[in-house]
Amino acid sequence: MESDAITTLQSVLKSLRFPFVVADILRKRQVMKRELLKQPNLIPTRIAILGGSTTTEVKSMLELFLLAQGIQPTFYESGYNRYSEDVQFENPDLWNFKPNIVLIHITWHNISEFPGLLEDEAEVEQRVRREMARFEFLWEKIHTVLGALIIQNNFDLPRLRPLSNLEASSSFGGVNFVLRLNAEFASYARNHSRFLINDILYLSAQVGHAEWFRSTYWYSFHMAVSPTATVALAHNVAAIVKAVYGKSKKCLVLDLDNTLWGGVIGDDGVQNLILGRDHPVGEAFLDFQRYVKGLQRRGVILAVCSKNDPESAKEGFSHPDSVLKLEDFSAFKANWDPKPDNIRAIAAELNIGLDSIVFVDDNPAERDFVAEQLLEVAVPNVGANVSGFAHVLEQERYFEVEKVVQDDLNRSAYYSSNLERSAGQSRFSDYGEFLASLEMTAEIGPFVPVYLERITQLINKTNQFNLTTRRYTSGQVVAIAQDPGFVTLYGRLADKFGDNGLVSVLIGQVFDDTVQLDLWLMSCRVLKREMEFAMFDALIEQCQQRGIRKIVGTYIPSKKNGMVASHYAGLGFRSMGATSGSGELWSYDVPATYSPRTRYIRPTADTLLATSPSADNESVASEA
Amino acid sequence: MNRDEFLLEMDEILDLPPGTLRGNEKLEELQNWDSTSLITFIALAESNNGVFISPGQIVTCATVADLLRLAQTERSTS
Repeated sequence: MESDAITTLQSVLKSLRFPFVVADILRKRQVMKRELLKQPNLIPTRIAILGGSTTTEVKSMLELFLLAQGIQPTFYESGYNRYSEDVQFENPDLWNFKPNIVLIHITWHNISEFPGLLEDEAEVEQRVRREMARFEFLWEKIHTVLGALIIQNNFDLPRLRPLSNLEASSSFGGVNFVLRLNAEFASYARNHSRFLINDILYLSAQVGHAEWFRSTYWYSFHMAVSPTATVALAHNVAAIVKAVYGKSKKCLVLDLDNTLWGGVIGDDGVQNLILGRDHPVGEAFLDFQRYVKGLQRRGVILAVCSKNDPESAKEGFSHPDSVLKLEDFSAFKANWDPKPDNIRAIAAELNIGLDSIVFVDDNPAERDFVAEQLLEVAVPNVGANVSGFAHVLEQERYFEVEKVVQDDLNRSAYYSSNLERSAGQSRFSDYGEFLASLEMTAEIGPFVPVYLERITQLINKTNQFNLTTRRYTSGQVVAIAQDPGFVTLYGRLADKFGDNGLVSVLIGQVFDDTVQLDLWLMSCRVLKREMEFAMFDALIEQCQQRGIRKIVGTYIPSKKNGMVASHYAGLGFRSMGATSGSGELWSYDVPATYSPRTRYIRPTADTLLATSPSADNESVASEA
Repeated sequence: MNRDEFLLEMDEILDLPPGTLRGNEKLEELQNWDSTSLITFIALAESNNGVFISPGQIVTCATVADLLRLAQTERSTS
């Protein structure tokens, strides 16, 4: 893009960041949309908005916030309050639309029956069951027939409270009833994949109940959420969609002085840092550290980028009240180099893209410099007061996740042990000797239900070692896992430093005696470990078992996957030449006898290479 | 908000180059005058002037200048 266009785009993106100036967004939405549509490599998606009220504003705002995330939606919009009928009676327009995502936008107005006065507990429970049966019917039909992921909001609270405070405590109170239904919705979400809650109970409280629901807009347009609050609603839904498409941020890069503690460690010394419950500002730093620690525990990678002497910088974490410890950080850059250079180095060290990084610094000059130099890095305007830092990060919804899986909890450990591996590598003159020293083992096999969440997550966020960068919804992954017309493989890799988790995914479609590889990807944290060879060996074994004689691979170049441009050539594939629009095709004849490529990775005892696809698919089907 | 500022705001709402609208344009002939721009007009009138203009009042407006008069009248009577 031209520099003027980049400046305009940056200005639009800034307008869609917290704190929102709603009047500006409303006024400029058409211009903003036009500018956002100029971005390259937008990811297309189809979203059906099924509304219990007027949804025009929801659609318009959601489009803006999705475009700001690099996602280009096409919408289906149900008629007013036709959310149920459209699904129940299979509206052909909705069915033909084939949504990837169904957004069910309803509010407390759409609750069919609130309890009557003095209704006893059993009667109220019956009402809860009836409401749930109504919704479960819709959700199951959307999942099983439409195959779409569902974003369902819970309920906001009714505007009026005729029973006053009793609404919250009596069994027949309206507030109590809404909270019970919300608990049931949450329970459904816990027990069903591809079903995500858009928490408008929280959002309405955050926006303020009086602003959330405006009777003037309700009676004029049947808008259940005011235009101002719709901005917050759309931003929240866009964050969920962003997580579904693997575009949430992965790494939080932090400054130190006056960001994680008060004072300057190099000048004040560790004993004089302002940190801890004994000081009002120290308490705010402590709470921010706790918030950051919470992010780290659930899988956000932490890194330090500070202008400091490295030893002094590290000493700060020995403060008795420091919740964050040195080992919580997967990369640590404390020096006098420009911060953009250090952030680039952090991205390279962690093998992540710059667009996965959020940078927090109390110093506005440093923030501006990084924002200007590194367009892909998110630089929130956190201000200079630590008491607001966590709030800004929360509002930006950078780290939204669809689910937290075990691999997320282990992520920091992976990256920390990667540093140990790198340190170990320098002791070896021969790279093969180094790989052998890692004592690597791999578990490779067809997709199994327990890993489908992680597989979907990996598919939607891997950009570099990704031959086609095709994205799949969890519904599509479940369907593929059950379809004997596909070859699927996942790969987990462990070594003496720890378990790297599920790091590679391959999907191929079988046509007679040929398998066409639609997707082959690998996490960058296991690059140059020969894991791709182990996956190829497993693929050959699958092909031999299923009588497949030819493998056709596709390479679709993207802005980020240049590293795999010669992947198929390296494996001995022959180029079939470029095809218009769908990348370059490569072919490989499966030999009758084959010598495994991998030299340094042993299969684990429970590797599922020998599992027949049909048997495995049955196990997926039984749980789907 | 004076007349010029109002017209510039309407240009933005209707995705027109700044300075396009003069005030005498008929609403029914403006391509982007739809439910989204109508809600935006109401929300901005509320944000600028602190008054809610109902769709029923807007229906009585034939031109852009009528919208301005409505917004100004509502502000002065609120």
